[in-house]
Amino acid sequence: MADLVHVDRAVARRILGGDEAAFRELFDRFFPRLYRFALARVGGDPDTAQDIVQETFCNAIERLDSYRGEAALYTWFCQICRNAIADHYRRRQTGSERFVLLEDQPDVRAILEALAAPTDDEPDTGAWRQQVHRVVEATLDALPGRYGEVLEWKYLDGESVVEIARRLELGPKAAESLLTRARTAFHAAISELAVASDELTGALGRSPG
Amino acid sequence: MEQQSQDHPNGPDLVASLIRAAGRRIEPPADAYQRVLTAATAAFREKTAKRRGRTWMLVAAAASVAAVTLLLQWNGTSTQAQVATVARVIGSVELESGGGWKPMTEARSSLGTGARLRTLAGGSVALALDGGASLRLAAATEVEMEGPRRILLRSGTIYLDNKGSVGTGYQFETPAGTARDVGTQFELYVAGSALRLRVREGRVEVDRAGQLVTGSAGEQLEIDVLGSVVRSTIATTDAAWQWAETLAPAPDIDGKPAAVLLDWVARETGRKLHYESATVESRAATVILHGNIRHLAPLAALDVMLATTDLEYALNGDTMEVRTRTEL
Repeated sequence: MADLVHVDRAVARRILGGDEAAFRELFDRFFPRLYRFALARVGGDPDTAQDIVQETFCNAIERLDSYRGEAALYTWFCQICRNAIADHYRRRQTGSERFVLLEDQPDVRAILEALAAPTDDEPDTGAWRQQVHRVVEATLDALPGRYGEVLEWKYLDGESVVEIARRLELGPKAAESLLTRARTAFHAAISELAVASDELTGALGRSPG
Repeated sequence: MEQQSQDHPNGPDLVASLIRAAGRRIEPPADAYQRVLTAATAAFREKTAKRRGRTWMLVAAAASVAAVTLLLQWNGTSTQAQVATVARVIGSVELESGGGWKPMTEARSSLGTGARLRTLAGGSVALALDGGASLRLAAATEVEMEGPRRILLRSGTIYLDNKGSVGTGYQFETPAGTARDVGTQFELYVAGSALRLRVREGRVEVDRAGQLVTGSAGEQLEIDVLGSVVRSTIATTDAAWQWAETLAPAPDIDGKPAAVLLDWVARETGRKLHYESATVESRAATVILHGNIRHLAPLAALDVMLATTDLEYALNGDTMEVRTRTEL
């Protein structure tokens, strides 16, 4: 984490120094993740999500001088995005219709209960799938670097370590090591949720394979 | 739990099964990517340009703050009736409170009579005055809201956009004299007892101890400590106005015709609006825009919003030409 923040501080400095390539790299890295972050919090309205992400980038760049590296830069962007969402609801005065996500709730038990929701006579419901999708998506988006992409290439696209290595212009050993770190980081993030309840183990065990 | 993070030849790979169960993450639409990229790039360029200009502003701030302390007599009025609302805050802006200065973080807060605020190096703020005008403070500026139409400019640079007619003007007291606008857009810079006035539209009168000097649209007046006036010209599209454009309060254009945005951009950038034909003008009045342009400078907002329409614009000197897009 300390290394990540160190790198993020350097990225912020480069952007503030006028390095447009650094800005573009950060934009490409953060845009899809922030779009999903916003989309999930505005009831799936793509136009509103786009407006909020636009506002997030403009506000974040405006305030980039104040980024001190206490958290990862993506986490800092997410907080600005949360504020933009709150402003959006305040402007529309529709606070009562706000979408509160499970992963935003302080009591992670709720997430676990959602994951554990399918019963024997209600296996694999749409709502359950949606919850799993949202939690896994948010977890992948929160992983540092290209961990999320690497895991998708491996487990959704079925790519081999050699193919991943080729994509990233790495040696096979380095790609394998990266994949291991990505798996560990993903599992650690999910496990943090599990700490709140032993029920997660059971819930994961019931996930459709 | 830790053991389950690894592959198990005889058991489920939980990481793999969870990722497969969730499926692929949603990809944002390409047009959303392009539109946000355009807006974010504009914000990035604005930010970095502003930082480059900071060194100059620090020098100006030091000079004006030192000079003004010798000249002003102050009568501390308490905060009373609302005279303005904070529309936008960029960087470090402070409000006087209980004899000290506190950071102003809350946009949309209201300011009453007697409120004093200042911008530090790199900071700027836009106020919506209750009379309907937009007052913008550049970096290193300090003002006091003396009344609904009376503002004390202690130091630094302000820009006023008042579309009102004659008789609805605002009065700016400065150590170097009093400026009164007559339905106009202008910039006033004060450093000690020297003053610089730039008039973009309309007319401004400066009363300097009984000596009345008038500046008209396109004029820059520099009045030194002895009262000598040097006049020169300044184009309505000069780069000197850009700091004020950056702070322009964006209208709510969601669900409004493109013509609303075009009118605003033309005024904020000091340009005349010209439609290629009556058909294009009619098109601009019927094309409905969606989205928001908060925190975007006028031309950046236009780039973002027109990208989704069949209209385009070109800047020809002090004219903004609007026409139908030649290629989509």
